Amino acid sequence: MGVDRDYRCRVTKPEDFNEFWGLVLDELSSIELNVECEKDELRSDSEVTVYQIFYDSLDHVRISGWYSVPNTPVNRLPAILLVPGYQSDPPIPKDWSAKGYACLSVNPREKVRSRSQFDPGYPGLLTHRIVDKNTYSYRGFYADAWRGIDFLLSRGEVDSERIGVAGSSQGGGLAITTSAMRKEIKAASAGAPYLCGFMDAIELTDTYPYQEINDYLRTYPDRLEEVESTLAYFDGISFADQIDCPIIVNLGLQDNVCPPETGYALFETIGSKDKKLFEYEGHGHEAGRYVHSGIMDQFFDKYLKG
Amino acid sequence: MSDNRPLDFGQFWYSLGKELSEVPIAAETETLTMRSTDFADLYGIHISSIGPYAIYGYLSIPKGDGPFPVIYYVPKNASVLEIIPQGTSNQIRSRYITFSLACRGMRTADSPYAAMYPGQLTEGIESFSSYLYRGVVADTLRGLDFLLTCPSIDKSSIVAWGNDNALLAGALHGAVTHIVSTPSFLYDTINQASRTSSYPLEEFNDYLRHNPERKGQISEILSYYDLRFHSSAITAESLIMADYDGGLFDKKTLRNLTENMNGAVTVHPSERSSYKDGMFCEKWITDKLFGKDATPIVPNHWKLE
Repeated sequence: MGVDRDYRCRVTKPEDFNEFWGLVLDELSSIELNVECEKDELRSDSEVTVYQIFYDSLDHVRISGWYSVPNTPVNRLPAILLVPGYQSDPPIPKDWSAKGYACLSVNPREKVRSRSQFDPGYPGLLTHRIVDKNTYSYRGFYADAWRGIDFLLSRGEVDSERIGVAGSSQGGGLAITTSAMRKEIKAASAGAPYLCGFMDAIELTDTYPYQEINDYLRTYPDRLEEVESTLAYFDGISFADQIDCPIIVNLGLQDNVCPPETGYALFETIGSKDKKLFEYEGHGHEAGRYVHSGIMDQFFDKYLKG
Repeated sequence: MSDNRPLDFGQFWYSLGKELSEVPIAAETETLTMRSTDFADLYGIHISSIGPYAIYGYLSIPKGDGPFPVIYYVPKNASVLEIIPQGTSNQIRSRYITFSLACRGMRTADSPYAAMYPGQLTEGIESFSSYLYRGVVADTLRGLDFLLTCPSIDKSSIVAWGNDNALLAGALHGAVTHIVSTPSFLYDTINQASRTSSYPLEEFNDYLRHNPERKGQISEILSYYDLRFHSSAITAESLIMADYDGGLFDKKTLRNLTENMNGAVTVHPSERSSYKDGMFCEKWITDKLFGKDATPIVPNHWKLE
């Protein structure tokens, strides 16, 4: 038995989806970015300069990140917004800058150095206020990632016409939502996308972090309808038709965390005409990373450096 | 470079053990109802380690009568404490007692000290006494002390699972019967760091770039933690998950560890697939604890072969 490539998820995009997120973006734009950017001497080296950065996001939550730039003088740099996995710590993106990019590795709320004002914990983040779209954890979490684009636009060395987004797992889901909502994104790479097809994923997998939702529904079975209603606003599949930039998606067909079926359903929904799917048979949640990293390099070179 | 085991190596670790033995475990247990299922109960465990310092773990116990084999997920070099590692079938909790521990600095054990990642591996490395990792090792051993107090454990089947700390646990605590380890930062550390620019080892390069005069001193401190010098004390049956051939911690590189261990050792070079490597681990441990006829418990998408 193999993976069903024609699988379709049951999520339906809410009719007021754009209105809901439009209000969030309006609220976000009313908050000053208030950037702090301090050189991190310890992490900088002969090739790359690293900065610890902070900015304000939704609810005035202070968001941190690692920002790095190549030391080689260049007039304007292409840039990458690097979005993080669920339980991993956002990396210092020196490797991206060594390849010639300005890169922001963002720590949305609840991540290390961004958790003093909001900290539902792990497990916990995925179901925090899951019965209410207006206070669900990912309302702010998504906004924190999207706001990384505003940070990049505030940097004089960044070419605003050459910004991409990349991530895997939760980062894959965030790459989907960010490229849908921020038209400054010119190229996107989403690996093993999480946060897509939530209600299907909790039945297809028996692993954390999706198990958090099963734990919640086992405890509060009467809240199923509210949970499903909230998640429809946050499902990557609901965002995907609004993506119009070039995008690549990679899936591991034995992915034990983010079921590949949901990846296929997502890919089918992506609106961009320039989209390509890479399927890795015999690979799990790393989704063929060792081969695919070279493909990502070529992809971003083509669209951001070409 | 320090390629020799320090003369007072044994004394160093004996002192740690003695210090730890003088700190009561002082366990407090809370039931975590939401994470309990019809096949396992989950508990939050508060225990004390040297310092004194309060650390925290998730203990899952299968329903039914024990004794049960144990998988001890040793502290990670990362901030988040998971109940079981991401991507592990939750059903594993029906067969094994699982215990995952946050050492000092990780979430749930980050008061008063919250670690940075990167940062944890060089915190306080200026001296033997201030180096944070001494406490991390103590916390790792304290997790085993706690497990031995649990009435339903099968003491003949205690697996230490994770990074380098799993091997340190096997070397320094007699309770460990099996080890599944992926060495990542405590094997010939400074030399290995010089071969990469990737974290976590890059943390040492960062430190030495700014403090080059301390290289000899840092190497000496790290030699107490070097897996090469702990290898002969490891008698547990072990699975070493090596890098792919040519990788930083490949089978050839690790031979000064694996050839000197005193228990049976299987070395598995990574197939650069989390699925294939994960399947190998699950089959290995099932075979060792339940025999070749037993079926490993694997996630749904690993059953589609």
